[in-house]
Amino acid sequence: MSRRTFLSRATASIVGGIGALMGIPTVAYLISPAKARGGLGVEAIPLGPISKVPIGEPTLFKATIERKTGWVTQAEELAFYVSTDDGRNFTAMSNVCTHLGCRVRWVDDEEEFFCPCHNAVFSKTGTVVSGPPPRALDQYELSVEDGQLFVVGKIEA
Amino acid sequence: MIEKVSAWFEERMGWKPIWKALALRNIPKVNWLYTLGSATLLVTVNQILTGILLTIYYVPSPQDAYNSVAFITNEITAGWLIRGLHHWGASAMVVLAGLHMLRVVFHGAYKFPREITWFTGLGLLAVTMAFGFTGYLLPWDQKAYWATTVGTRMLEVTPVIGDWLLRIARGGEELSAVTLTRFYGTHVWVLPSVLLILLGIHMFLVVRIGISAPPTAEEAAEEPDVEVEA
Ligand code: FES
Repeated sequence: MSRRTFLSRATASIVGGIGALMGIPTVAYLISPAKARGGLGVEAIPLGPISKVPIGEPTLFKATIERKTGWVTQAEELAFYVSTDDGRNFTAMSNVCTHLGCRVRWVDDEEEFFCPCHNAVFSKTGTVVSGPPPRALDQYELSVEDGQLFVVGKIEA
Repeated sequence: MIEKVSAWFEERMGWKPIWKALALRNIPKVNWLYTLGSATLLVTVNQILTGILLTIYYVPSPQDAYNSVAFITNEITAGWLIRGLHHWGASAMVVLAGLHMLRVVFHGAYKFPREITWFTGLGLLAVTMAFGFTGYLLPWDQKAYWATTVGTRMLEVTPVIGDWLLRIARGGEELSAVTLTRFYGTHVWVLPSVLLILLGIHMFLVVRIGISAPPTAEEAAEEPDVEVEA
C-alpha cells in the first residue's frame, strides 16, 4: 500500500469514527422523549362517590391530574364513564374514541356511545358496534373505598 | 464500488476540480502550529451541530429556560454530552482561535496578499467572543444572570451613548425576558449568519491564495532594504 492510499484510508476511518461517535448519541438524544409512556402518572385518581352512578346508566366522571411532560408540569383533565349493573361492581371506561381520539358521549335513548367525529358507535360495554374504530374503548381498573371510586390503572386488553 | 459511485456523481456534477482545489492543493512545508486553524474550524463545526441539537429542547423564556436546560442535562439521553460539548467547545473555540491568531502574528502571515484573510479572522474572533457572551446568559441561572448584569453594565461607561447602549443590549432598563430573547436571537441567528459569511471569505482565501510558509532567516537576509544603524 502506498503512503498516499494509507493516509487517505486512515483519514477516512478517523472521520468515520468521529461520525459514529457523534452520530449515535445524537440519535439517542433526539428520540429520547419518545420513550416516555403515559401511564396514569399518579397512584390513584379519585373520581367521586358511588352513589352518583345510577344502575344501568354509564356516568361521566371528570378528574384532574398533574402530568409532567418534558420540563412542564400541567394539569390534565381526564374523563371516565363508570357503569354498574348491581350497585356493587363498577367498571370504568375511557371516553377517548379509539379511532382518532375524539370524545365519545353516552346517548341515553339509544343505549350506546356515539363518537361525532366519524360516526362511530360503541355498545354499553365499550365494544365497537359500527364505524371505523379498530378496538373497544379502553377499560380501567377501579377500587372502591368508603363508597368512593378510584381509578387505579389501565386494563391491558 | 466507491470508484463507481464517485464516477456516477462526477459525470453529473463535475465535482472533481472542486475536490482537487480543496483537498489536493499544494501547501508549503509547515509544522504542527499550522493545524490550529483547522482545529478551530473543527470546534466551530462542533458548536454548530451541538447548538442546533440544543435548540430542539431549549426554550428562551424566563419560565422555561432554566428548566429546559436542566431537562436536557438530567433527563434526555446523552443530553449532558451534547450540552457539555457545546459548553466546553465554546471555551476551546476562544482558546484555539486566540492561539491561531498568535501563530499568524509570529509568522507575519497577515501581510500582503493575506490582509483580507487577516481582517476576516479578526472579525471571526470578535464574533466568537460575542457568541460566548450571548450564550452565557441562556441557561438563565444565577451565575448567568449576574454575569450578564455586569457585562451589559460595562457598556454604560461608554462616553455619551453609554446609557443608550445599555438599554439596547438589555432591551430596556433591566435584565428581563426581552433580554433573554434578544440574546437568544443574536446567538442563534445573527451571529451564525455573520460567522458563516466571514468564515466563507476566510476559507475561500485560504484555498485561493494559499497559506504562507514559515519565514526563514535566509529570507530575512535577502531583504534588500534592511538598514542597520551603526
Ligand atoms: S375519532 Fe371517533 S370515529 Fe373517528
